[in-house]
Amino acid sequence: MIANPAHSLGIEELEAKLVRKPPVVTPFVDYRFSHVLKVPVRSSGTLEYREDEALVRTVTSPFREQAEVMGEEVQIRRGERPERRVSLQRVPQLRVLLGSFRAMLDGHVSQLSQDFNVVLADQPGRWALTLRPLDARLARYLDRIEVHGTADRPHCLEVVEPDGDATLTFLETPPDERISARPVLESLCRGVTPEKTGHER
Amino acid sequence: MSRRSWLLLLAWCLMLGIGFAEVQSRLSISADLRLFMPTPHTEAQRLLVGSIGESPASRLQLLAISGPEPHELARISKALVAALGAASEFEWAANGEQAGPSIAERLLPYRYLITDSLDQRPLDESELAGALTDRAQDMSSPLAGMLEEWLPRDPTLETLHLISQWQPRKEPRRIDDVWFAADGRHTLLVVETRAAAFDPDGQTRALQRLQVEFARLRGAIPAVLTVSGSGYFSSLIKNRTQREATLFGTAATAALVLLMWLAYRQIRFALLGALPLLSAALAGLAAVGAIFESVHGITLAFGFTLIGVAQDYPMHVFSHLRVGERPAETAHGVWPPLRTGVASTCIAYLAFLLSGVTGLAQLACLTVTGLAVAAVTTRYVLPHVIGSVTKDSAQGAWLDRLNVRIDRLPRPYALLAIIPVACGAALFMSSQPFWQNDLSRLTPVPLDLLRRDAELRKELATPDLRYLLVVSGRDAQDALEQLENLDARLATAVRSGSIGSYDHPARYLPSIGRQLRRRAALPDAGALRDMLTAATVGLPFEAALFAPFVEDVARARELAPLALADLAGTPLALRISSGLFARDGRWLGIVSFYDVHDAAVLEQTLRGIPGATFLDLKAASEELIAVQRAHILRCLEFAALFLVAVIWLALRSASRVVRVLMPMVLTTLLIVTVLRASGVSLNLFHLISLVLAAGLGLDYALFFEHAAAHADEQRRTLHALLVCSLSTLLVFALLAFSTVPVLQAIGITVSLGVIGNFALALLLTRERRHSRAAP
Repeated sequence: MIANPAHSLGIEELEAKLVRKPPVVTPFVDYRFSHVLKVPVRSSGTLEYREDEALVRTVTSPFREQAEVMGEEVQIRRGERPERRVSLQRVPQLRVLLGSFRAMLDGHVSQLSQDFNVVLADQPGRWALTLRPLDARLARYLDRIEVHGTADRPHCLEVVEPDGDATLTFLETPPDERISARPVLESLCRGVTPEKTGHER
Repeated sequence: MSRRSWLLLLAWCLMLGIGFAEVQSRLSISADLRLFMPTPHTEAQRLLVGSIGESPASRLQLLAISGPEPHELARISKALVAALGAASEFEWAANGEQAGPSIAERLLPYRYLITDSLDQRPLDESELAGALTDRAQDMSSPLAGMLEEWLPRDPTLETLHLISQWQPRKEPRRIDDVWFAADGRHTLLVVETRAAAFDPDGQTRALQRLQVEFARLRGAIPAVLTVSGSGYFSSLIKNRTQREATLFGTAATAALVLLMWLAYRQIRFALLGALPLLSAALAGLAAVGAIFESVHGITLAFGFTLIGVAQDYPMHVFSHLRVGERPAETAHGVWPPLRTGVASTCIAYLAFLLSGVTGLAQLACLTVTGLAVAAVTTRYVLPHVIGSVTKDSAQGAWLDRLNVRIDRLPRPYALLAIIPVACGAALFMSSQPFWQNDLSRLTPVPLDLLRRDAELRKELATPDLRYLLVVSGRDAQDALEQLENLDARLATAVRSGSIGSYDHPARYLPSIGRQLRRRAALPDAGALRDMLTAATVGLPFEAALFAPFVEDVARARELAPLALADLAGTPLALRISSGLFARDGRWLGIVSFYDVHDAAVLEQTLRGIPGATFLDLKAASEELIAVQRAHILRCLEFAALFLVAVIWLALRSASRVVRVLMPMVLTTLLIVTVLRASGVSLNLFHLISLVLAAGLGLDYALFFEHAAAHADEQRRTLHALLVCSLSTLLVFALLAFSTVPVLQAIGITVSLGVIGNFALALLLTRERRHSRAAP
């Protein structure tokens, strides 16, 4: 990412644009790339920032699951199974991810610089925010988080782990279901390739 | 004083010195509070007495460090855990940064022998296919990153299953990886001391070490350490009791010397008067040392309080001294009432010798021996070292005036009716229970500390301290098997909501039989590979990904069952040792409960299981105390009959016996009335104090009765008993101001007793001199 000083969009300016007052609901499509997977796993559903400040991630395809983050606890309900409760203290990588997500919605992006090296790259028509953890222990789980967007809308989240495993979360424009190649999906996420396969909502 | 007197005095002092050296070298003082626990009768009581202070759970101390800056507190917490982990006074220390209950890397293959999740559904193709489908879905869940680490080695997530089963249901919040209270204002730690909870000296050493380390690590930061737990309390109680006993003892001694000087105007009386008392203390100690292995600190402190009444004996002699009579004759004159008084007091204390409580038996032995020796030395040795008498002790116009005035006072015979009626009313109307069975009410732990303890326990989600289920087995395996068989009932209790959860050692270490059954059900490597190939069809996983899993299962099939010894040094061993230990040749397995909501339903659910005992520690201790007290009361009833017989033998007249007993009986009723009317429930220490007060009352009445209607004799007796009762009142009135409930109970009871007994003996027992008192 190369920052463009001449056309600089300040972090404060961005954070003001990104603020969302709950409740907010947005559809998403997730791709998980992992060394344990032959092919990336795609799932879709909605992300919700509730008035009670809970973050809810509901998967509707290819199966049904609801993950609710309230305080320090994640509750996961899948199908008819008894819910699984996990303390965020046990999943530090998730905790950080949620924390930064919340910070964005609350308009506290600049505060993230306490825990991350924050770089904002502003290019005509789009911007990208890159967060790299400062804490060495956290860096074992997380290489970086990239948020790509235009104007006041984040379009896609890219979470990359040190071993190369990654999750792409498309918030605005879901890619064609037939696409599974990682480089193509990454380009789509970053918004750098012409939208020959994407379709507008 | 003659040369012979000096020699005798020298010999006496020399003997006391030798006795002191002997007692000091031979006597071992114990601080084990269990010496004061009654003999257990039921299985629950045996478990109670046996496990109190011994079980690791009771050695847990909860620590809280509060201060302004959470990150600094976390730093101190971490450093403190490291320091205490290395200290010899502590078994371990934890603050949440330790990886909870985990399975050591080398023990990982054992998970297939420990886990219960394959008991219902064996590890076959459909089970595996179901698990792998779940894992594929997990890859789209927020937990993907965490689960991927485990996937190749543990696709059925047995490790996570076990760890989540072992996790406490609630955990304190964390800041910088260490436990904090919900409000984030203090960090929380748990330590286990090596010393038992009921070893106040060991606990005090541990506490000192803790404070030294804390002070060092805190440095200049204004952080405050709070300690809580039964061990801390026992140390606190002991030190506070000791401090107050020393303080009051010193004050009382100084006041006594002053009183003696005021009464006799001769300092040698104050010094000589101490000799029978010292002889009593040494003889008492020697007797206890000869009969019992070790003497309890409380026996010493309390015994000396009881022996303190022996200070009265020389006073009787001193007050009766007069010009023209040899001290030996004086002693001979006061001997009959003194002898009767001492004999009857000793009889009362003998009741405690038969109480079945080691500490009380020691107390009785010390007191009876001491009082007897004090009386004998007062009668036979003391008179010969007093020397010449130059003036009557009991002289002075004020004494005569007082004597006359007392004679003019009306005799309060109405009290004979009023006191019993008032007592009956107080007993009938009081809403408090007559006896205090709650041991915790006896402990002088300030209420705010107890409240704080409850808060910390809640924050740290420690198991319930009151209810336990205990099984007893031939060996560890037997106990583990019994624990496993309880699971169905315990699960019922959790489902019914009577408890939140439960814990026992077989959850971490299943019995050998169960492990072998699980091992036998595991598929071999070839079969497992085939299953994996079939199960991964249509899933985003390669079958080869799971090679580490196949390897672990293959290894588990070869393993000998996990034994206690394999776990040595792991966090699991600590968990197990707190609930599985050997005692008296049997192995006990303990089930502990979390969040007990309905104890009655819980007990109902767990009733009638062969070999398992549901323990309500509070009820068991209360029952134990009640049974014990009933026994002591029975002994005291016999002692009372015996005592009346002794007095009858001494006085040989029904009316004299009644006059002597009246003040004592009325005063005892009066004390009970006052205590009941002020809402106090009586405990064992009140009972002992009542006996002590009754003994004093008997002494006073015997002396007043003995003086008959002779003016001079009455004046001397009044002088003696004024000095005696004032000195006793002084000592116990001071104790009544103690902040230690036990000392306070003794102080108040005996003070009331001295006042009541003196006044009533003076007014009801002493004869009127009609000739002079007539108007």
